[in-house]
Order: sequence, then structure tokens, then C-alpha cells
Amino acid sequence: MISPTPLHRRCFLGQAGLSLGAASLGGLLARDGLAALDLPAAARGAIWPLHHPPQAKAVIFLCLAGGPSHLETFDNKPTLARLDGQPMPESVTAGQPIAQLQGKELVVLGPRKPFSRYGECGAEISDYLPRLGGFADRLAIVRSMVTEQINHDPAHTFLNCGTAISGRPSMGAWVTYGLGSEADDLPGFVVMTSKMGRNPQPIAARQWHSGFLPGQFQGVEFATSGSPVNYVASPPGVSEAHQRDVIDTVAALERHRLATVADPEIATRIRQYELAFRMQMSVPELADLSDETAETLACYGAEPGRATIGTNCLMARRLVERGVRFVHLYHSDWDHHGGIEPYMDEICPPTDRAAAALLADLEERGLLEETLVVIGGEFGRTPMAQSKDKGAGRDHHIKGFSMALAGGGIRGGVTHGETDEFGYHAVTDIVHVRDLHATMLHLLGIDHTRFQRGLPRPRRQAHRRGASPRGDAAAGVGLVIRDLVKPT
Amino acid sequence: MRFPDLSLRTAENPPCWSRGALTALFVACGLWWLAVFQAEAARGEEATPDFNRDIRPILSHNCVACHGPDEHDRQAGLRLDDPAAAAAELESGLRAIVPGAPQSSEMIVRIREQDPDLVMPPPESHHVLDEAQKQLLERWIAAGAPYAPHWAYVAPKAWPTPAAIDRAWPRSWIDAFVLDRLKREQLAPADDADPTTLVRRLHLDLTGLPPTPAELDAFLADSTADRVERRVDALLASPRHAERLASWWLDLVRYADTVGYHGDQTHNASPYRDWVIHAFLENVPFDRFTLLQLAGDLVEPAEGEHPDDRVLASAYNRLLQTSHEGGIQVKEYRAIYQADRVRNISEVWLGATLGCAQCHDHKYDPLTSRDFYAMGAFFADIDDERHMGNAGFGGGTNTLPTTRLPERAILGPFDRAEAERLDREIAELTKRLSAEPAAGDQATGNEPEPAAVVAAREQSARLTKQRESLTRAVMITEQLKTPREVRLLPRGNWMDETGEAVEPAVLSVLGSLNVDGRASREDLARWLTEPVAEGGIGELTARVVVNRLWALFFGEGLCRSTDDFGGQGEPPDHPELLDRLALELVASGWDLRSLIRQIVTSRSYLQSSEASAELLARDPDNRLLARQGRWRLPAEHVRDAALFAGGLLVEELGGPSVRPYQPAGYYQHLNFPKRTYAADTDEQQWRRGLYVHWQRMFLHPQLAAFDAPTREECTARRLPSNTPTQALVLLNDPTFVEAARGLAARAMRASTADDDRLSLLWRQAVSREPDATERAVLRELLARRREEAAANPEAARARCWELGWRRRMRRWSRMSSQPGRPWPAVCSTCTRPSPAINSPPHTSRTRSRS
Repeated sequence: MISPTPLHRRCFLGQAGLSLGAASLGGLLARDGLAALDLPAAARGAIWPLHHPPQAKAVIFLCLAGGPSHLETFDNKPTLARLDGQPMPESVTAGQPIAQLQGKELVVLGPRKPFSRYGECGAEISDYLPRLGGFADRLAIVRSMVTEQINHDPAHTFLNCGTAISGRPSMGAWVTYGLGSEADDLPGFVVMTSKMGRNPQPIAARQWHSGFLPGQFQGVEFATSGSPVNYVASPPGVSEAHQRDVIDTVAALERHRLATVADPEIATRIRQYELAFRMQMSVPELADLSDETAETLACYGAEPGRATIGTNCLMARRLVERGVRFVHLYHSDWDHHGGIEPYMDEICPPTDRAAAALLADLEERGLLEETLVVIGGEFGRTPMAQSKDKGAGRDHHIKGFSMALAGGGIRGGVTHGETDEFGYHAVTDIVHVRDLHATMLHLLGIDHTRFQRGLPRPRRQAHRRGASPRGDAAAGVGLVIRDLVKPT
Repeated sequence: MRFPDLSLRTAENPPCWSRGALTALFVACGLWWLAVFQAEAARGEEATPDFNRDIRPILSHNCVACHGPDEHDRQAGLRLDDPAAAAAELESGLRAIVPGAPQSSEMIVRIREQDPDLVMPPPESHHVLDEAQKQLLERWIAAGAPYAPHWAYVAPKAWPTPAAIDRAWPRSWIDAFVLDRLKREQLAPADDADPTTLVRRLHLDLTGLPPTPAELDAFLADSTADRVERRVDALLASPRHAERLASWWLDLVRYADTVGYHGDQTHNASPYRDWVIHAFLENVPFDRFTLLQLAGDLVEPAEGEHPDDRVLASAYNRLLQTSHEGGIQVKEYRAIYQADRVRNISEVWLGATLGCAQCHDHKYDPLTSRDFYAMGAFFADIDDERHMGNAGFGGGTNTLPTTRLPERAILGPFDRAEAERLDREIAELTKRLSAEPAAGDQATGNEPEPAAVVAAREQSARLTKQRESLTRAVMITEQLKTPREVRLLPRGNWMDETGEAVEPAVLSVLGSLNVDGRASREDLARWLTEPVAEGGIGELTARVVVNRLWALFFGEGLCRSTDDFGGQGEPPDHPELLDRLALELVASGWDLRSLIRQIVTSRSYLQSSEASAELLARDPDNRLLARQGRWRLPAEHVRDAALFAGGLLVEELGGPSVRPYQPAGYYQHLNFPKRTYAADTDEQQWRRGLYVHWQRMFLHPQLAAFDAPTREECTARRLPSNTPTQALVLLNDPTFVEAARGLAARAMRASTADDDRLSLLWRQAVSREPDATERAVLRELLARRREEAAANPEAARARCWELGWRRRMRRWSRMSSQPGRPWPAVCSTCTRPSPAINSPPHTSRTRSRS
């Protein structure tokens, strides 16, 4: 096998914009250990040296897809309880974008569950999430999120790509591109999904697409049942030894070819075959939870072979342990237009258990320090009721909602920003989705205003693609929310 | 200095000159050119910097975001993209540029400033000018600060064909331009690719499929002088070529089989795809091709044109991403759809990023927000909101396919002949049946009909059903009586209704339309293709088109930024050649085929892609064209080539999209309705990649792995990657496993001798004989597998069956016999290495025939 030398890296990058991921490929192949926050040379991505010392080196984004209600999770509004069933003051809603409640009578719906104060910080968290409440002193709660898109699909795209326009890279792709990967037999950006029994909103592969970055930065979907990764299983009847033999033979032919024509793409392809083979071996091992104790499984609520939030949170820890840079978990079914109470009763306990177990487990293993965990959805829900089967629910809401962050570089015990007394408009310390992106990049050692500047030409070409330099997640528009960042 | 004639070089009759001699020749050429052009180069150093080449990129990348066309975000009142404004007195009383006097120019003072509070660009911008750039700006101002209009907005000029120093090398005027540039760079062109490489290159580039061994041999055996031209003509006329061009076009216009948002339901678009293929097959002139797509509903059929063609073509206006997610606001989606169309038309036909002007005047190019909305107004008469209903409900349906009215049931262009045949037969049967006296009634009333009548009746019913199955629904363009009002949306905000109403208009920087009343999509289409002299921008559009066609055959455009001809793009490497090609296309009556023929029969195209280390170091990106390019096949062709080598490819034209094997659960995240993917179980499984069902939210994983775009937006250039996922697809995707098995069956049928079989495998997959090393490697694998099959015959037999997946494939049964068992593994090795998936490939230098 050809060792990845600096010379090779230069060759790759010189090839008319080909193989832009070569730099991170080195990282895929040679893990130099996980020295605390000191990225090994081989794992470097497009940004090297990093703009400032990183406080996190991996991200787990637990996306509660469908738009969880901030009013039943992190944003307590006594006023709503008082006005429950009364008309919503028109002064609040006049001229605002409204989704399914267009043209309907707008009536206040009080919080469905009481809130309690947790930890030394005294953060208010809904009784739907008692276990997360136990982590209050390590959580940063943002109660003043705003986004620009009111429908699920574009709102997800906005949350992940910083724009609703298709074809831009997602945060996971940006982060893997910028930092490279430290996993030597796994992709740097992994996506896993779980859902509950209802009829969840669809999710597009656009949410983990590499957009105008090269394909190697695309998120790779892992499944908990069946074949964990597409095409990772050898054809029926083909043993490991046979597959190895085919790959070795292909490699021999490729090496012969490389000796004839000095095309660095061939060298890269040899390595990709090798990595593919390693993935075939390592992915089943990764997905096999039999080395976890029964206690751990119970703690997460993990069920081996079933794609539950518990299983996926446990998998996220296993992935991060193995050097994966960005793990994106989708937990669907938070779109509670009707029956918000019964549905929250159903979805919150397993989510609360799994998220808290993940934080505890990461902490116990010393990984929480360097792993940024983000918990939240594409938008929040209206203070106004929307009635449907199984009782009242809430409509989509984008002018104020909540998220929670923990781990790598996050200042625990902070509750940042607030909405008005109706939980409608974010009014103080507003955090736009792009501010969240900027803050995430900051914690990873990247100055978002410089991310796309001053890169070598082939890289610039790669993400030029006519895109507006402001219209994506790494475009340098948002602001870093210092209040959320642990002082160094 | 005559180069050996290509036609004399065959496999049996290798070139008579040695590599050393050729190198010497190059060196001699180089020295001679060096002597001639040294003087010119020396003069060039002191010459005035060229604005477009040297100055515009500096300003565009470092200055104009704050000192440019966007008047809402302009700092210090300074605008550097406009000569008068740049030299005018500023708010501060200073002048940024004083032509001829760099010392008095505030711009120079500020870029030379040491104080971080004053230096330009400001430190927080993270832009830094290097010394060379500063000097360029100084020299440019010293020379009077001459501006030049941006190259892409200037009509192409008829540059004279350079006089060739080497008369033998050029095959056409194209080569004269390439050679002229090489001469100035003191480089020599590469020698021609060897014929084996060349014929594979031609087949892959023009059709997306490799040559068959027979086609390969025929070309090698052909010693006539015009064998390249004849092969090119044959390929250009083939339906495979039309399919290849269609893939290119479908990426641009973002053709897909699903709506793209939320439920990502199937929509009815496939007849449009067939029309595109048909149009390329018929070589419909590009101006007509444009007009039919933008305004098919507004024009009459041309002579010889099927009346349905304009209906099918008009589906272009309906290809955008749409949604009927519950709770969408019509006004918001009206704005989203409008922006989608504006982005597409401006990228496809203008190579412009007008989409940036949705929220603000363009930061880099003279495109205003008003331009954006005026362009959108052309499409305000398209009936396409019925699926959204009044308040976001109703209209569209969560069905497969969904409804996107207006639609029409129509025959695809490739189904017309079959439909006519069926109509004739049905008419004949109907006539016969009606002539038949109603026998039963006349007699007893219950006498059975004669068998012949029953048969005819059944036949008629069967044919009628068959005939009905030929029609497919397609979304079409229908004009609204009253166009929607289009307002300029301040900051792109659809809820802000304070903006002025705008009428359809073309980009103000490119002039205006001279029409009475409201300009139509037809006016727009004609403006895009009419010559400049007649008030259009045809030659400019042509430059965008020819640049992309060039990229199909050289891997990169003459202007590298095939998607952006604006200030953030790159100026062309061969501007004169690009201009001439554009003029050639317009002059030929927009004849794409003739233009492609000229490109691929040029000597520049025929060059070898091998490069010396020196050349690689000197020109790593191959901007100078001293060799051919090398690139991996597009996703569809990776699939096609494997199936073709395995003898499985089913070549039918058009029809509904097909569904190859796909990993189970791949559509699990789709909903409304839930999707279970059912792969085709018949021969449709093995159609070309072009016809694969294009699910925008979850593109088929083989296509996605090899960088095919989701077609949510215009894709002018696929960015190639090289990933482990690709390796996994080639190793484990059932399609590729079956293809390898097909290839094994083919080899076993052809011969009983190992060596013959290995030759055949390699010729099918790589279009040449394996060299000694390759042969040895494959023989060793074969031996290992034989040994193992002998040791464990049952396992090997079982594997052969399982590998096929499809037990009913009788022709493969021989492989499960004792001698056949090792072969699938050998074949799966042959179809995977770089030579099998690269275009154009290299032949190995050590050739051997065993």
C-alpha cells in the first residue's frame, strides 16, 4: 500500500480540483491516537492549522425532527397557562407567517406539563424531561432560537445547510471537510435515524448531502437493522477471504497501472478499496452491541437490532469513540399538530432517557469534554392551539423556540435568551440558526468568517459553484454566541 | 516537422518512430519556439496589465463585495467595478483612482497603508493582497486604469485563425488556436493517442458505452485516411449519442422523476426526457430546442415537427421542485418557485448566478435585484399553483404519481410509430368486426359467434389495452389568462409587499427587448438565441453552450467555471477559441452535432493524455491543452459499461423510468405515502442509467455514490469524488455482480482456452488485450479459485448460483459446472480497476498477444 505522504496530498490537490478529500483520506487511514484535542497531522482537513484551539472535536446532533414544542420542554410560560382557552392577542400574531392555522381562530393553549427547577443553576425544564433536568448544570439552554422556514422540509434544510436552497453542503459535510476525520475504518460523517409509531415527516438525503463539496464529505447512513451500510455486505456466498482476494487482485492490477501512468487518482482508488474492505469488517463489529453490558443497554433504552432513539444514542457514543467527526441522529415524530399531550407522553420518556444516558456515558468515558452535543428540532410550536384528533396540538412556529447544548466547550448552567410572555417572539439575545452554526464551528476551532477564505485554489473552486458566498452554513454570516462558550 | 499520420497507426503496424525520437522532436520544437518568442515575452513583462485577465479578478475577489454593484451595501460611496465611479470624487473628497497617477490614488495609498485601521482590504475581511497584486494595480493605474467590459458580456469576436507554424499538426482551425497558445507557452502538443485508446475514447465520450471487440477490431483494421471521421459520424448519428447528450442536458434543467420537497412524490415527467433524447437524435437546432422548452405553448409547430413536440418540450417549465406539504403558504411558494425558475434559466442559458440577486443586488456582477424579479415575471403566466390549493391543502395528492395539473396524456416520441401500427391494426379489426353480420341475432338469437369473430374481438381488446399503455401523462405548460403580479421583494422577503410591481424584462446590463406590450416567454427565448446584430444575445448564449460541450470532450471547459461566467468565475483559458466556437455554432444554424464533430475530429482532441513529469509540473490542470484530459466515467456510464461488458445491457429508447436493484429500506424516510421500492423483475432492470428512476430526495445509491446530482438545482459540472462507497458499490451492488457474471458467461461461451477467455474479458471491459503482468495477475487468481473449487466443490457451486440472484438465467448455468466456477470472481476483478471505469483510458505500453 502506498503511504499517504505530503507529496501525495499535493498531487491530489493539484489535479484540477479532483479528490479534494484526499487530505482527509490520510486521516481515514492513519489514526495517530486520540491525544486530547490535538488533531493528529494525518487527520487534518481543509483548515490547518485551525483558526484557534478547538474546544470540541466531535459533534453529535440529536435532531428532534418535526419541531418539538419549546413550550413543553425548555420555555416555561405561566401567561399561557393563565390565558389557556382565551383568544390569542391579535397584536402578537398580526402579519406573522402561519402554517396550518392560516385563516383559523387563534386560541391560547397553556403548557401541558409543569416545569421544575433543576441543578445549582436553577434552570427551568419541563417535567417531560426529568433526566435531562439532572444535567442542568452541564446544559446550555437557548430559549431564543429563530429560523426562516416554516415548513418541515425547507426548515430542515435551513437548519442543516443555512439556506433553504438545495445543493449546499450540510453542517456535517462542512465540519468533516474542515477538520478531516480521525476514524480509520469508518466515514467521518454518519447519519442514523429512528422514529416512533406515528406517521413521521419525511427526511431528505439533502440533509446530509455534501452539496458542492466533493462526495467524500457526504453523510453515510447507518442502519440499526439489516445491512448497516448500503452495499457493505459482500454478495451472498462470498466469504471474507474471497472478498479480500478480489480486492487484492484489483489492487495488484491498479498498482501495475499506477506504475505505467502516474495518476494519483489510481493511488486514491487503491486506498478506497482498502478502506471499503475495512468498513466491511468494522461496521458489523460496530453495530454489534453484544459487548455492551445489560446495564448500559437499559440505561439508554437500547434494543439491539431495533432503530430506537436509545439504540442510536448508544451507537453515537460508539461512533465518536472510534473517531467519527460528526454524528447526526434524527429522531422523527415531533410534529404534534394534534394530541400533543398523549404524543409527548409517548415520545419524551425514551428521548429523555437516551439523551441523558448519552451525556452520562460520554462524561464517564471522558468524551463529553471534547464532544459537542446539540439537541433540538427545525422549529418550535405555536402558543396557539390547533385542534385535531386526540385533542389539542400546536402548529409550526419559527419566531422563537428552544435548543439545548452540552459538552465540548459549552458553558453549563446557562439559560440564554428569552421569548415574550406568550412564548411567541424571541425578544432578548436572539439566536438565529446561522448563529448556532457559527458557534458550533467556533467550538471546533474554525472561525466561520474565514472558513471559505484563503483556501488553496482547488478547494476554492470546489465550493465556488456559483453559490452566493453568504448563502450557506459556513458562509461567515452568523455570530458566535459567546455566552454559550466556556471561557478558556 | 511532420507528425506521423494517425491513419497509419494500427495495432499491427505500430508507429515507426521511437519515443526517443519524438522527445527529441519536441525539444527541437521547443527550442525553436523559445528563440522566436523570447523577445515577445520580454516585451510582455512591461505591458499594461490586461483588465479582464489581471485586474478584474483582484478587484472581484477582494474589493467589490463592499465597493461594488450592490448600492445598499456600498462602503464610502466607492464603486470599483465602474470606471467613472471609481475615478469620481468620494464622500471624503479623495479619489480612489486617479488614472495615470498611482501615488495620488487613494486605492494605492490604502493598500500600501501599514495602519490596520486604514489598510485595505481591512484585516477583518481576511483578504490580503500580495506584493505582485499591489504592483499590478499600481501599473494598471499608471497606465491610465483602462477598464474593459467583462468578457462574458461582450459579443464574441471573429478572431482570425492563427497562422500555423507547424502546418502538419492541425486538422482544423480549432487546432490552430490551441497550437498558437502552446507556441506562446513554448510547449508542444502531445502525440496522438494510439488507435486503441482513441476508439475507446470516441465511443465513451460520444455514446457513454465502450466499443465492442468487433468495433475495436474494425477500427484498427481500417487504414483509410478518414476512419476517425467515419467512426465519429456513425457514433453521432446513433441513438446512444442522443442519450449521452440527454444526460448532460437533464443535469442542467434539473430533470427528475419526483417533486423534490417533503413527500417527494413521483411526478409525471418522463415523456419530457424522451423528447430531449429525440431532439438530440433529430439534431434539432439549439435555438428551436430553446424556444420549444421555454415557450412551446406559445408557438406553432415548425415544418416537419410533430405537433406534440412543443407540448412535451414545454414540460421544461414544470421541472422545478414543488411541494404540497400541509401548511404551505401560497405566496411563499410562489416566491420559491419563481426563484427556482430564475436560477435555472440564468444558469442554463446565461451562465449567470442571477439567483444571488433574489435578496440584494449582485455583489460581484452588474445584476440587480430588479433584474431578478423582471426575469421571474416572464414565468408569471405559467399555470402551476393548482397543486397547492388555496391554503396549502388540496390540489396535489399524496399518491404515486401525484397530480401536478395541468398535465396531458401523450405519446412519447419513441412510441409514436408503435402507436400508429396498433391504431392501424385496431382500425382494421374494428372494420372487420363491424362488417361481420351480427350472426347470432339473425338466427336463433343464441347461436355462438364464429370462433374467428371471437378471436378478432379479443385481439382488438388486447391491442386497445396495449395502445392505451403507450400513453403517459406529462406535466405541461399552459398559460394563465392573467399573469400573476410580480413585485420586487425587498431582501427577498415574500411577506413584504412594499416593493414595486415589475414587468418581464431581460438583464439590464445586456440591453432590453424591443416588443410592444408585455414581453412573453417566447420573446425571452428568441432574445437568448437571436444574433446580437438582431437585438438578441445569441452569440453570448452560444459561448455558454459550446463551453459546456467542450467540457464533455476535454473534461473541463475552455472557461473552467462552466456554471459561472461572472466575476467570481474564471476568465477563459482560450478566449479566442471560445469566441470562434460560439460564432461557429450560431453560423451553423445552431447545429450542435456539427460543432461536436468539429471538436472531436480536431487534433487537439486526438492527443494522448499522457504527460511528462515536466508537463505535469508546468500545467497540472491541463489549461494549455498540451495533452488530453483523463477522468472517471459519469455515474450512469459506470453502470452502463459494466452491463454492456456483461452482455446484459438492454438498449431501448425512452419509456417510463426503470428501477434497478436498490438496498432494502433505502426509501424508509420517505412518507406521504410510504414507499416500498420494488425493483424491476424483467429486462428493464438492465436499461441504461439515464432511465433510472430519479428520486430527488434519495437518488439511487449507485448513481449518488458516483457523483450524479440530485437534480434539485442546475448542475453544469459534476464534481468527481473517489470514495470507499464507490468501491463498495463496485464490489457488492447486485447489478455489478450480475454484470460480472454475465461477462463470465460470455467468456465461457466464446472459448475453452483460459488465455482466450482472459483476452476476451479484458477486451470487453477495457477495450484492449491484457498485458503480460495483467494476464499473470488474472491467471494467478484463476488458479487460486480453481484450487479452492476443487477442494470444496459444493460451496463453489452454491456460490455461483447465489451470485446470479436470478436463477432463471439459464445461460449462466454453465458457470455452476465444475470448470465454470472460478470465472465470476475473475470477471468481477476485470470490471473494477481504473482502466475499466476511466475515460479515456491508457493502453499499456508493453503490449503482448499471447
